[in-house]
Amino acid sequence: MPVSRELLQSLKGLRIQVLHPPDAEGKVLIEHLNRIGCTCEATWPLPEEINPAASVVIIAIEPSHREQILKLFRPVEPLDPALLAVISFEDPSTVQIVLECGALGVIERPIRPFGLLTNLMITRSIWLERQNASKRIRKLERRVRSSKQILRAKEILMQTREMTEDAAYECIRQQAMAKRISMDELADAIIAAHTLLTNNP
Amino acid sequence: MAEGEWKIGVLFSKTGVTAGAETSELNAAILAIEEINAAGGVLGRNLNAIHYDPGCSPPKYQEYAIRLLKEDRVRIVFGCYMSSERKVVLPQIEAFRGLLFYPTFYEGFEYSSRCFYGGAAANQNAVALAKYLIEKFGSRFLLVGSNYVFPREYNRVISELVELSKGEVVDEIYVPVESTAEDFEKIIKSIKVHAPDVIVSTVVGTGSQQLFESFHAAGLNPRDTPIASLTMTEAEVSNVRPEIVAGHLTSASFFENLDLPEARRFVAAFKQRFGASAPITSSAEAVYCQVHLFAKALALAGDDDPELIAKHLRGMEFDAPQGRIRIDPDNHHTELWSRIARINEAGQFDIVWQSENRIRPDVYFVTSSCESRHTPEAQSNYGM
Repeated sequence: MPVSRELLQSLKGLRIQVLHPPDAEGKVLIEHLNRIGCTCEATWPLPEEINPAASVVIIAIEPSHREQILKLFRPVEPLDPALLAVISFEDPSTVQIVLECGALGVIERPIRPFGLLTNLMITRSIWLERQNASKRIRKLERRVRSSKQILRAKEILMQTREMTEDAAYECIRQQAMAKRISMDELADAIIAAHTLLTNNP
Repeated sequence: MAEGEWKIGVLFSKTGVTAGAETSELNAAILAIEEINAAGGVLGRNLNAIHYDPGCSPPKYQEYAIRLLKEDRVRIVFGCYMSSERKVVLPQIEAFRGLLFYPTFYEGFEYSSRCFYGGAAANQNAVALAKYLIEKFGSRFLLVGSNYVFPREYNRVISELVELSKGEVVDEIYVPVESTAEDFEKIIKSIKVHAPDVIVSTVVGTGSQQLFESFHAAGLNPRDTPIASLTMTEAEVSNVRPEIVAGHLTSASFFENLDLPEARRFVAAFKQRFGASAPITSSAEAVYCQVHLFAKALALAGDDDPELIAKHLRGMEFDAPQGRIRIDPDNHHTELWSRIARINEAGQFDIVWQSENRIRPDVYFVTSSCESRHTPEAQSNYGM
């Protein structure tokens, strides 16, 4: 199935929290999101926190609300909803807030229906890519750390027990299996024991 | 505006690749305007249409739209056939704060507060058509179209529906809008290689006629492989010999020989005005309805201020030739009836299926949601 089709289907019933004053522009925005098939929750004034059920947040950026906006979105967490900023000006201080709050897309005023669907889909697509990328990074980080620890544990065994590298690796593997723990947990235990015995942290 | 009349703009082509379909639309606009004026106009003032022929060229459409809005000071425009024409006219309508009535079936995925869409969006004909074709003929589809936005988007929807039914699209081929006979050799070859159960065509205008002529000349038979086409309407059929199109299918909201009182009255008036051989398409019926709906809204508003007119149009109903229709107040499209017809030996359209109710326009239509929300519940008993 093409990516665009999955994204398009995911827009139906997508929960969007709209942080925008209830004026004519806000009305155009919410009406069109409903027309597309999204489920909108309009919130104004700016709340203390984002509704955790929202998948996408659309926020009106006003320099006068800078502190409140940044409080809502700083620090940028990987699990934050996808964020779209509505802007009236392109001055550097507005753009800075857009960047600092982690917005992935921008809707310009005056708000018009044309372009909103594409903007939503691009934002969702970047957000999904980021989710996948951060999952992958966490997995790789764990793997790097684990292979570092196993390497260190192997060295300890090779020095203290005069084992070959293969034998040291096999020893760690066998013991981890016998104790039903992971190899890096066992490696951690070997390193801790060695540090303790040699009193040489 | 001149005293004593309501000026409106009309942009349909009398020349060019889709002139057949657009002339039918223009005629319907003229008929509706004459009917309204014969009945005393709107609030005692006649409608006065200013028409330009953009020759099916998008740049000309844009140029004439600007002329209508800027020099002729028109605020209300009826017009456009291909989506590529609407896409260049609508920004001008928005810039001059006017209102566009677009009567042609199209791909959907658009909304402007300054446009009313009188033709079917993809969900209003594709869902029923794909279902009908799969049930009657099988699920191996070959898709052909003119190379612009509507055929590509319509074929995307059909492909998804076919895929959901575990069917297969064996080939998808596009020809230039201004096509020549050679462009169709590739299609005929593919039909012979793949032997699909059914062909869905969105080739527009004179190209549509060439497609059916090539199909016929190649010795292919609609009994083996029918072509289902939204774009082989009364206008295109009237330009070819009946034996070339007999046995093929089309889907629309309205057909000339629809046996309903409003339809019979409309067809009789149209033929009396433009001649017995003047074709009436579904899009022409939509223009006719839109002009009458506009007149009703104008009478209520008392002024042709586009925003006031739009306010009165939202949710308005009308006893159309196709059956009672309603303007969706949220998306400005129209709740329409859906029908499928087979072309007979005399080049007439025999209706073989119709929806039980009018179908709501789902402008931002995705196929996963179609089964539960938009497939007509019950099928009628026309049979084949």
